[in-house]
Amino acid sequence: MADAFRQEWGRITAALIHQTGDWDLAEECAQDAFAQALRRWPRDGVPNRPGAWLMTVARNAAIDRLRRSSTYRAKVEELAVMATRETGTDSREPDADDGAVPDERLRLIFTCCHPALAMEARVALTLRTLTGLSTAEIARAFLVPEATMAKRLVRAKHKIANARIPYRVPPADALPERMPGVLAVLYLVFNEGYSASAGENLIRRDLCDQAVALAQVLAELLPGEPEPKGLLALMLFQRSRQTARVNDRGDLVTLEDQDRARWDQVQISLARRHLEEALAARRPGQYQIQAAIAGCHAAAPTAQATDWPKIARLYQYLADLTGSPVIELNRAVAVAMADGPAAGLAILRRLEAGDALAGYYLLPATRADFLRRLGRNEEAASAYEEAAALAGTGPERRFLNARLAEVRSRGQQRG
Amino acid sequence: MRYMLIHAADPDLAANWDDEAQAAFADWIEETIRTRVNLQGARLRPTADATTVKIRDGELIITDGPFVETKEQVAGYDLLECASLDEAVRWAGRHPSSWVGAIEVRALPERAPAEPLPEPGEGKIQYLMLVCTDPAVDAREFDRIEPVDPWVADTDGRGIRLYGSELEPPDSARTVRVRDSRVIVTDGPFAETKEQIAGFDVLECADLDEAIEVARRHPMARLGVLEVRPFWPFEED
Repeated sequence: MADAFRQEWGRITAALIHQTGDWDLAEECAQDAFAQALRRWPRDGVPNRPGAWLMTVARNAAIDRLRRSSTYRAKVEELAVMATRETGTDSREPDADDGAVPDERLRLIFTCCHPALAMEARVALTLRTLTGLSTAEIARAFLVPEATMAKRLVRAKHKIANARIPYRVPPADALPERMPGVLAVLYLVFNEGYSASAGENLIRRDLCDQAVALAQVLAELLPGEPEPKGLLALMLFQRSRQTARVNDRGDLVTLEDQDRARWDQVQISLARRHLEEALAARRPGQYQIQAAIAGCHAAAPTAQATDWPKIARLYQYLADLTGSPVIELNRAVAVAMADGPAAGLAILRRLEAGDALAGYYLLPATRADFLRRLGRNEEAASAYEEAAALAGTGPERRFLNARLAEVRSRGQQRG
Repeated sequence: MRYMLIHAADPDLAANWDDEAQAAFADWIEETIRTRVNLQGARLRPTADATTVKIRDGELIITDGPFVETKEQVAGYDLLECASLDEAVRWAGRHPSSWVGAIEVRALPERAPAEPLPEPGEGKIQYLMLVCTDPAVDAREFDRIEPVDPWVADTDGRGIRLYGSELEPPDSARTVRVRDSRVIVTDGPFAETKEQIAGFDVLECADLDEAIEVARRHPMARLGVLEVRPFWPFEED
């Protein structure tokens, strides 16, 4: 029943927001419908079309509530007319044939992810309205108090109403500009879940699955767009490595050291299929390229077999597309693997000349790694120190300190 | 001569807006309208409902929030017709928003006549668009700034721009605060930030997307920052 819930929650909320324009009402009525399902289905059996059942009950709940507020009489009539049009009957019975309910989720996703909303508001609203996670669950997932998350959601809805953020899918010519914002939200949710350690709560780790589900919805509802498929492929390639990423002690295992037998080949095949479909549209984008890079890794049976020159070329493509210094850093890593660490250092020197990555621990960490591989142990040691000082979480810092110890002892060995 | 009163509310002083302030406000509006001093004005939704628009390296960047975070936050404006800055400052000193924040008084260049705003059309919403400077932009870029007239003509013509004007520079402003019944007038703008308001426009649009579309075409989108803030009609609370 849990999967049916996840799918249907978003569909129902989206439809009710569209029909009533009232976000809070939509949430409450979706909640009512699910509560009723939990009571009746174990007793009466799951209906043939659970989605239609839930939609009817939710809509009836909305009609009832609006009826009690006299100022919304016109809205009620509108709702009733819509119900009649869709079912072809006047019946309020949940089992009446409720035909095809239009999928309003696309409007909902684009509105929740509107650039005029702060990123954390977009994330909260997207999860609340599209996945059925409760406010408390979302708060736990993002490690903030429930009251904070509740306020965040209220603020977001107020801004939508007060600033009049339109409830719609952007017109075709605006889609290229608005799509990255939506994809960024989904990828952020995914990364929150992906980076959650084994000790963290289940809801937080579940964010990966929520993000994948949402990317799937987006890809389905926008079949002509390649980037949602690219993002989906990227997420699946990454998630396929989840069990190999962390060892039993909770330490991070680098890509080159991971036990590839633990990589989930089912997800990898699925990812590859989505990526091929995306690339067939011949409209490359940053998520498709990142997915292609992830695909290169997935294709290598061992770390040594990795096609680094191809990855380096893909990173060049990505760097040209995005102008992102982080991408350029990743390119340096790939170039170092393909052409040797000295080539990688040259790219780093250019990056370090600017200050775009100041304070970013991976910059000195990468330099340290190149220097280590070149046997320049003293320089490597000071770079590892610099990186460890900047590194945030436990596993990353432990890893860097281990490397630091390693190059120090090597240095001593050389006398 | 025309002057803009920029009301900047201090959230810490919000409790000072009591019934007396409310009554004083109603009186002020009534008196300034009756004496034909008040040409135009509006209350604005708070900064949480603001959106900033700018273009950098050809990329449109939309952000949630005001153009700069300050303690006192722009909450409304009035346009007054006065004989001098001193007179405008005296009027500001009698407006109760000076009890709960600051009122910045800034002159409009001579060429800007002002009128009361119409009610928004069916399905429309009005926004104040603040045209602001960005200290990160190289001052030399301004040598290449496009004229604003085509943008004005286009938006005026489509009924999107209801009114607008440049403002005299921030250092020509005077700011009024009333604390413990004392009127304190300081030279300069209400906030000592590098980012400052250079002008404003009043827009009437169907929704925020339309307002953003209009804002991004303003020449200052590339060289400054535009803040789009919805009006907050007194009938709505």
